[in-house]
Amino acid sequence: MGLVCSQIEVNYPEFKLSLDLKVAKGELVSIIGPSGCGKSTSLQLITGLIPTESGSIILNDKDITTTAVWERNIAMVFQDYALFPHLNVHQNVAYSLRFKKIKRKEIIERVNQMLSLVGLTGYGKRKINSLSGGERQRVALARAIASEPQLLLLDEPLSALDARMRKHLRQEIKNIHQATGITTLYVTHDQEEALTISDRVVVMQEGKIVQFDYPEVIYNKPASLFVAQFMGDGTLLPSSIIEEGQIELEEKDQLFFRPEKVVVQDDLTLPFADFKKSVVFEEVFVDSYQYTGDSYLIKCKYKNHTILARCPYKPKSEKVSLSVRVEDIILF
Amino acid sequence: MRTTRKGGSYVLESSPFFKILSTPAIAILLLLLVVPLIIILSKAFIGSEGSLTLSRVITLLKSEYTWRVVRFTFLQAFISTVVSVLIALPGAYIIANYRFKGKRLIKAISVIPFVLPSILVVLGFVIFYGNSGLINQLLMKLFNLEEGPIKILYTFGAVILAHAFYNFPIALGLISSFWEQLPISYNHAAMTLGAKKGSVFRTVTLPRLIPPILSAATLIFLFCFSSFVILLVLGGGPKFTTMEVEIYRRARMSLDLEGAATFSLISIFLTLIIVAIYIWTQRLVAHQEEIELLNEKNLEKSLKTIWGKIGVALYTLFAAFFVLGPLGAIIYNSFTYTPSRSGQTVFTLRWYKQLFNIESTSSSMMGVALSAIILSLIIASVTTIVSLIFTTMLSAKLRNDKIKGSLATELFAMLPMAVSSVIIGLGYYLIASRLQLGNIGSRILVILAHVVIVSPFILRSILPEYRKVSFTYSQASFTLGANVARTFWLVELPLLRSALITGGAFAFAISLGEINATLVLADSSLVTIPIVMYRLIGSYNFAGAAALGSVLIVLCAIIFFLTELAKKRSN
Repeated sequence: MGLVCSQIEVNYPEFKLSLDLKVAKGELVSIIGPSGCGKSTSLQLITGLIPTESGSIILNDKDITTTAVWERNIAMVFQDYALFPHLNVHQNVAYSLRFKKIKRKEIIERVNQMLSLVGLTGYGKRKINSLSGGERQRVALARAIASEPQLLLLDEPLSALDARMRKHLRQEIKNIHQATGITTLYVTHDQEEALTISDRVVVMQEGKIVQFDYPEVIYNKPASLFVAQFMGDGTLLPSSIIEEGQIELEEKDQLFFRPEKVVVQDDLTLPFADFKKSVVFEEVFVDSYQYTGDSYLIKCKYKNHTILARCPYKPKSEKVSLSVRVEDIILF
Repeated sequence: MRTTRKGGSYVLESSPFFKILSTPAIAILLLLLVVPLIIILSKAFIGSEGSLTLSRVITLLKSEYTWRVVRFTFLQAFISTVVSVLIALPGAYIIANYRFKGKRLIKAISVIPFVLPSILVVLGFVIFYGNSGLINQLLMKLFNLEEGPIKILYTFGAVILAHAFYNFPIALGLISSFWEQLPISYNHAAMTLGAKKGSVFRTVTLPRLIPPILSAATLIFLFCFSSFVILLVLGGGPKFTTMEVEIYRRARMSLDLEGAATFSLISIFLTLIIVAIYIWTQRLVAHQEEIELLNEKNLEKSLKTIWGKIGVALYTLFAAFFVLGPLGAIIYNSFTYTPSRSGQTVFTLRWYKQLFNIESTSSSMMGVALSAIILSLIIASVTTIVSLIFTTMLSAKLRNDKIKGSLATELFAMLPMAVSSVIIGLGYYLIASRLQLGNIGSRILVILAHVVIVSPFILRSILPEYRKVSFTYSQASFTLGANVARTFWLVELPLLRSALITGGAFAFAISLGEINATLVLADSSLVTIPIVMYRLIGSYNFAGAAALGSVLIVLCAIIFFLTELAKKRSN
């Protein structure tokens, strides 16, 4: 096992955090949740910047619960990067190497290697305040992995960047992870980021882990309504709204499905072309729609309830029928 | 935010490094301040038989003379403050609101008095405004007068004028920088609600300016309250005796050490009240700043009317004349010689030759000037290094303390401000008289007294910068394998570089020009630049004093030039 956090607990006056987590060696796991759920606190616990009150942290089979921060060999990329302004790019990346018995020549070699890994070859002499946001982010990443850490923590590393840069850099982080194979924990509040980048995803709510699974499972089989709604748009309906026997209810009374699982039929004379078992909603009225570039997100009214549907085109009539496969419906 | 801050300070707080670092610094600084104070206390309260007595304090409080001195101290401080603020207000207004050519000049000029040793102010005034000073000479020539028309020296007016010269830049700096930050949106809101320009100023701008004005005024009052050399020389006699002068006179002239100690107690008590008021006004300012921070700041306008332009030009001229006049007079005088027979002024280098022992002189004071320069430089260097080390250690501790402190702890931190340098000098004088020290010992005592005097100034330049250093820098350093001590050396100290340079320069300049404590403490064999200047002024050798004063000016200029250079390089 790479990282094992067992029964860690910290108490604050209005907040309690408990952490139980097993991350495999070389895995990239992201931690997601609303602000204040304890994501960043978890990272600080693992680094040792906050003391644990109970439980243990084991990294690559070594108990590091009481080890000092600087001896844990856990690198971290901070939200504001925390690049030292009095040092240049090279000196920042070389910082951790100063504390190891490495020859000057090797340090220079290693720094250059790191800079080329993050695509900043030749930036060594630059000052930190002359760098753009994206460049700073890369330097922070290079600095963190230069020490060959046993664990890499990233605390919302892309939150200060614009949307395009974020998409670009998250792919790069993934590439670098694959190239280095460092066990990585990635904190974010952006679901798309969490789903695209990670091997597995941890969803946190009010200081607790509510689900820890593969991205596909988190999105399609959320463990709770909170996870379902946090990870993306969706429609929630009482089960009484559909005819009995259509779905095996298993004593649950709420239906949840994502908008892209809904098929919209605006020509009421035509049937749905589906062989799988579906639930069909008829007499549905289009209330409003949002054009999102790749498709339309349509808000519909059905018996005083709102249904969200994604449709590749704009419906031609106001009255439509909707169909959702039974296997795409999640029960709560 | 909540969690980040907790994480930031936990490692620092739990580390023994800062305790080991700061404990000796706190202990030594406290000792340096507390020991002389205790000795003063014991002088004031212990009778000749060695028992505790209140009789000295009571006698002093009953004496009409005491109250005359206290009243005069308050009166001169009050009038000096009002005059300083009144001179500063128009300047603050134009600096904050308008864009004009002389702005940088005014700002640069107004820094000068701040770092000027008080003995230079005294000398500049004597030479510039004196009965046979430059202004009078000029007026005599212009209007063909028999004698100089301005007779301000050794009057109340001279003291006030010198205090205003010394302190108006404080008010100018504080008020204008605050005024610049005032968001214009409030004014616009008031205008849309029907207020005319005059009413906008009266109802919107002025109320918000009151905290910084009060704060500047209290600080100036405090400085004038414990002003010493200016009163000693320019006041010129028992008529204008303030508490500090009285302490010095009793200690060193009438050798009434008990009386001096008792007087010091009253002075400390009154100054503490003023310091408490000052802290209160600072909180007002901080509170006001918090409100203003949320808004966009004021925009400078360019001057449109001819009257406005004339007004600004006049103020710039006035500031230049008022500040640079006395300084220029010192430098001018140091190169001139007026033989009493011919009355014709000639240019000469004789004062400098005498100063540097190139030309022999009958004046014993000029003869020791060179050794005074060397001793002053040594004392200032040692003082700077020692106090920089102590205050850095101290601020490392204070930065990690989460609670910023109640009024009581803040007052404790300001204690050195409440104890004037004359009183510190007295304390060390009492120590010296008990210890029977040799040459080196008495020089060390002077350095210790200087350390006590400059440390609060350095602390005020380092601590705010240290508090600005984000905890994430330290955190990042920890995660990269540096322990607390290494992080302190490799990250925190380098980030403080520019604050350390500024603090060090101030410490050096203050120590170099320090006369209050040195005069009270030192015996006649210990001569520093200001002491020699003081004695030269006392023996009416103004030109000699001017030459030495010019050396002091050049030294101060070099320090601040180097400081700017070092700061530029570190950026």
